[in-house]
Amino acid sequence: MSDIPMSHPAEAMAPPIADLLAPRYAPRLDDPVFYPGVTAASMTDRICAIALREKPFLWWWVAFVPCMALTVLLMVAIVYLFYAGIGIWGVNWPVMWGFAILSYVWWIAIASGGTIISALFFLVRADWRDSINRIAESMMLFGAAAAGVYPILHLGRPWFFYWLFFYPNTMTLSAQFRSPLLWDFWALMTYVLASVLFWYFGLIPDLASVRDRARSPGKQRIYGVLACGFRGSSRQWKHMRATYGVMAAIMAPVVVSIHSIVGLDFAGAATPGWHSTEFPPFFVCGALLSGFAIVLLLIIPLRRLLNLEELMTGRHLDVLCKLLLTSSLCIAYAYLMDAFTTFYGGDHAERLMFTERVFGDYKPVYWGAMLFNCLLPQLLWFRRLRVNQLVIVLICLGVVVGMWLERYEIVVTSLHRPHLPSAWGIFHGTFWDWATLFGTVGMFLSGILLSVRYVPIVSMHEMRALIAARAAPAVTAEHAR
Amino acid sequence: MNRPGSKFWRSLEQAADDPEFLARAAQEFPGLAEALAEPLGRRQALKLMAASLVLSGLGGCDSKFGGNLIPAVKSAPNIIPALPNFYATAHVLDGHASGIVVKHVMGRPVKVEGNPHHPASLGAIDVFAQAQLLDFYDPDRAAQVSVRGNPSDRQSLQTAFAAQRARLLENHGNGLRILTGTVTSPTLAAQLDALRQQYPQAQWTQWQPICRDAVRQGARLAYGHAVDVIAHVDQVDVLLAIDSDLLSTAPGRLRYARDFASRRNPTRGATMSRAYAVEPTPTLLGCVADHRFVAGPRELQRIVGALAAGILQSVPSTAGPDWVSPVIADLKAAHGRALVHVGADQPAEVHALAHAMNEALGARGVTFDLIEPVAHEPIDQADALRTLIAEMRAGKVTHLLIIDSNPVFTVPATWGFADALKQVPFSLALAGNADETARSTTWFVPKTHEWETWSDARAYEGSVTILQPQALPLFGGMSAHEMLALYLGPAPVSAEDAVRATWARRLGGDFGKGWSDALANGIVPGSASAKSDVRLRAEASQIVPPAAASGAALSILFRPDPSLWDGRFANNPWLQELPRPLTKLVWDNPLLIAPALAEQMQLKNGDCVRLSIEGPSVVAPVWVMPGQAPDCITAWLGSGRRASGAVGDGGGVDYYPLTGLKGAAVLRKAQGRVQLASTVHHNLLLETPPEILRHGTLAEYLANPRFAANEHPEPHLYRTVPTGPAAWAMSVDLNACIGCNACVVACQAENNIPVVGKEQVLREREMHWLRIDRYFEGTPEAPESFFQPVLCMHCEEAPCENVCPVGATVHDSEGLNLMIYNRCVGTRFCSNNCPYKVRRFNFFGYANEQHRPPQSWNPDVTVRARGVMEKCSYCVQRIAEARIVADRESRPVGEVKTACQSACPTQAFTFGNLADPESEVSKRKRSPLDFVMLEAQATKPRTTYEALVRNPNPAIKAQPT
Repeated sequence: MSDIPMSHPAEAMAPPIADLLAPRYAPRLDDPVFYPGVTAASMTDRICAIALREKPFLWWWVAFVPCMALTVLLMVAIVYLFYAGIGIWGVNWPVMWGFAILSYVWWIAIASGGTIISALFFLVRADWRDSINRIAESMMLFGAAAAGVYPILHLGRPWFFYWLFFYPNTMTLSAQFRSPLLWDFWALMTYVLASVLFWYFGLIPDLASVRDRARSPGKQRIYGVLACGFRGSSRQWKHMRATYGVMAAIMAPVVVSIHSIVGLDFAGAATPGWHSTEFPPFFVCGALLSGFAIVLLLIIPLRRLLNLEELMTGRHLDVLCKLLLTSSLCIAYAYLMDAFTTFYGGDHAERLMFTERVFGDYKPVYWGAMLFNCLLPQLLWFRRLRVNQLVIVLICLGVVVGMWLERYEIVVTSLHRPHLPSAWGIFHGTFWDWATLFGTVGMFLSGILLSVRYVPIVSMHEMRALIAARAAPAVTAEHAR
Repeated sequence: MNRPGSKFWRSLEQAADDPEFLARAAQEFPGLAEALAEPLGRRQALKLMAASLVLSGLGGCDSKFGGNLIPAVKSAPNIIPALPNFYATAHVLDGHASGIVVKHVMGRPVKVEGNPHHPASLGAIDVFAQAQLLDFYDPDRAAQVSVRGNPSDRQSLQTAFAAQRARLLENHGNGLRILTGTVTSPTLAAQLDALRQQYPQAQWTQWQPICRDAVRQGARLAYGHAVDVIAHVDQVDVLLAIDSDLLSTAPGRLRYARDFASRRNPTRGATMSRAYAVEPTPTLLGCVADHRFVAGPRELQRIVGALAAGILQSVPSTAGPDWVSPVIADLKAAHGRALVHVGADQPAEVHALAHAMNEALGARGVTFDLIEPVAHEPIDQADALRTLIAEMRAGKVTHLLIIDSNPVFTVPATWGFADALKQVPFSLALAGNADETARSTTWFVPKTHEWETWSDARAYEGSVTILQPQALPLFGGMSAHEMLALYLGPAPVSAEDAVRATWARRLGGDFGKGWSDALANGIVPGSASAKSDVRLRAEASQIVPPAAASGAALSILFRPDPSLWDGRFANNPWLQELPRPLTKLVWDNPLLIAPALAEQMQLKNGDCVRLSIEGPSVVAPVWVMPGQAPDCITAWLGSGRRASGAVGDGGGVDYYPLTGLKGAAVLRKAQGRVQLASTVHHNLLLETPPEILRHGTLAEYLANPRFAANEHPEPHLYRTVPTGPAAWAMSVDLNACIGCNACVVACQAENNIPVVGKEQVLREREMHWLRIDRYFEGTPEAPESFFQPVLCMHCEEAPCENVCPVGATVHDSEGLNLMIYNRCVGTRFCSNNCPYKVRRFNFFGYANEQHRPPQSWNPDVTVRARGVMEKCSYCVQRIAEARIVADRESRPVGEVKTACQSACPTQAFTFGNLADPESEVSKRKRSPLDFVMLEAQATKPRTTYEALVRNPNPAIKAQPT
């Protein structure tokens, strides 16, 4: 079914500059999930052409070079860190955790958001998911990679990270099961492995499509190997669909667990500001919020740059904005409860820490998180703004910063006011803290850009199913079962 | 060829023409002069060349050690690998000795403890004696004799001395002056006496920058004789401390602290004492007193007048503040059990009045005694030094020997010592390192450390300790005794011979036994100063304290740095990084100013000011000190060294240029700010949360002895009881703690805790396992102060243990919360989860960058690597040692003393086995005052505190501001 020759050269797909400024399709609230006129064949051609382009777009280079530069900065920061020790960061006594942990939480939340879109909304058969789930999964993959860097960098002696595994050793020692960090380490390992598999498995039929369209022997071979011999037989489709469904069913709880356990890293400690049972659900809501924000931030430019407006329509923006607003409300509730339980609980240190958080040295962080995570997204109550791409981008950027500030507030602000006044302190990130943070941003974006360049950016087989279903609803109903 | 007056010679031949050189050579090498005087043939020249080649090689050999060296084919007796040896000696500070015991492992000194037999120590040790270990190993110590900065050797020194000796003998020592610190050493005193006998016109001057002249003058004013006063603080019911240095700098302070603390816990022993302190700047005694009254220097004189009038003449006081009358009444009511103590910085008249008051209060023989002076020839040191400087300037001094004193740095600049020194043709400094003075004298001779030579010294009450060497000299050098012996004759006399000669006469009886007993015990029995029976002069009570200089709106109080003393310890990293008791500052000495003054001048901590008196001025940062009188500024001497070594140079501010001036101080705001490193990072807090530190009054205690006890907690869900044979626990008595820091340095020394430097402290990465938290209550003008030592609590339900993913911190069967350094991967979760924040992290490889050689580390304690968490271990190495001993002797494990406990002068720490109901710690835990810090955390700490009880006078309502 996928051996249709390309109808036109891939280069023709580049939108003229004028199109970028005055797009053909302004998103509208009543947009369908894909525009009429999109057929299975035209959609497949278009997506495969992007992956098979001989030369990348100019904008791609413009984006990729600075991202790679940041990635190189990350490498330098890591090498220097291993050489000198974590003293190069701003961490101190009492703020023993700093950028490494808070950025880890931030990234893992971004990744989790991608998984939720991809897995959870697969399970509920949301039709708007099919055209954006590949982007969400790429975000999950590279978000998890960026997050995965930190736990090892964070260690005082990173070369012994493997001591967190249970493995037979001459010391007859094993890891310590009561520590939330251990749960976290394992949850992260599970999550990273599962998300790579999930991403890859959903990709196989599309890789096969690309393989079949590839002209150069090199690409044929590479995509051929990656497609694992997928020929599109009904037997293969049956196995593929069943496995993918099972994996989605696994991924949905895994993503809830990973972020709950990240929440337990804090809730499991007796530290003022952390010791709270609301943390696991609160963290999952945070993951949703940042996940939706980043997906929006990715699809808004990509739909235009890659000429995918017919597939990623106003409907998608509207749905994602509604979800973003919902998760923002959840977060606002969590913030409210945080304040309530602190004062309801009556612990002296907790109250003092909370007062410091709101009115102390770090008050810009707290109020910044409030503004960006709770107040700004309220604009999305307005229907017109839900399809206003500029407003959406601004709100989403705000959420991304706000979520980072929230983690800063949780990690740093909580630690800087422990029980004993003699141990109070203050924390400021150093150059190397920021270099590592922006380095991982560069690494994440480089990964996204590479996947845009070489991997089908829309899940073609799912889109084809959707297009077919819309064309003949009866068939789809059967198909879905 | 040989031009007259030429100082240089190019060849032996040329030098051989010089009769002066020949004479010198003849004195030193009789054969050489003859050989040189003869005309040289070719063969002889070759012979001489060969010989000089061989001899030059010999010069590289260690010529300092005169004894026999035997290779240890069999190990030396008494040295068993891994087992320590202990040798008694003493630490001498400004002449006064405090007994110490040095712990050796395989012949290397590794730790200092107090000497329980020594009256000035009773087993306790102060920060200076403890940190002496690093002074001893200091890599910056000088190893080379030098002349005008150029390297020289001991041979040249002896040659030079030979000439000097001849000249001095000729003119009876005219122009010979010797400058030392205060001397109590009988051997040094005997040598100085002999020297002045041999050179009758020679003169000896004692001078120390931390001046105690006023104390001496005060005693002379009151009694007409030079006498020393020793206090019996344990006998004191009511103590009035006037700007007192009783617990901080006075000789015998360790003993005084012990005695003071023995009366401060109402659950133990005799009735609780009451202490009043009136002072312009906070002292340790003021901080632990029941009432602390802030009085500026001028007001203080009026108050002393009022007190004297009230006590001596029974005149009802009208002059002073309203607390004066109740204090006088209290002192009088405690007739015979009261004491007035005055600090060394107060004028002589105030001291004399205090003596008169004490006599009037019937205290003599009970709370204090007079003894014959401990120092040899006590003099007015400031006058003597000024006389010396005048003579130097007048060119009357031709030969100046400076022993272990740094006058170029410490003498008030306006006295002009440094300039006068240039007038002295032959000056020699004998000092541990090439300090400011050693760089200005013609000769500099490295001085052996106290641990490398023999000597003797007297304690505050006169008892003598014979100081025995602990090691062969690490860097060579010469002791003061050897140096003085060089003046007395050409034959070298070892310090040991000199000390033995002194004690051969005095020990009497069986010298061998007496000598070895004295060495073993660290004290010569019966050597205390005799009591003096001088009577108070009648006119003593008529003395009027001097009015403070008129118009002096602002005065400066120069005080020794609590850690650096007069600057001599500036190169000691432990002391530099020791948080000063109240400010918790390290590596710096800002001016301490009152909160009112700070507000008036709009100054914040770290703002720079220009402080000037008459001409000289310095620019220094300020620190707002609660409890400081507004009309005075405190300046700690000792920082700002220019030639102390790699650690001490350049840090802090040198206030010596402002000393010795009488004029009014002028304070002006200056440009700039200095980042001051304090280990306390919060702003001024004026409350102490009761869940952390509990305190009350004696009345509250008597009404309800368990007023501070914890509310009984809910039973723990997962209560686990360690099953081991012992249950280690600690009790810290807050009534005893005076915040002196002895425990902090002791812990640092015992546990190989690295020093991190000012920049890292600014980034809050200090490493002390044991810290002393300081709290204030009340107003910033006159707060009440509290000290609380905080170390690992060894919680039974330790929050740190649960969160470590690799199990690097675990519990042992005896209740110890152990830290397994090898296992630590450095997640730092344990520190986040520790409510007491006692865990420290090696953010860098601090241990690799220490200013000390590897052999100075305690071999029983792991040196921690980068990326590893560490914390107080209850001195687990000492427990292990006790366990081994107990196992060997087949008995239950006995007494263990932690490093902090054994150093503490006031016995604030008690450590032991909770499983033994009769152990000291079990008894202390049964004290009604026992409480748990942060009980609500349900951590079940093994370390608990005894609440602080103060005994305020009910007649004094509110503290004046």
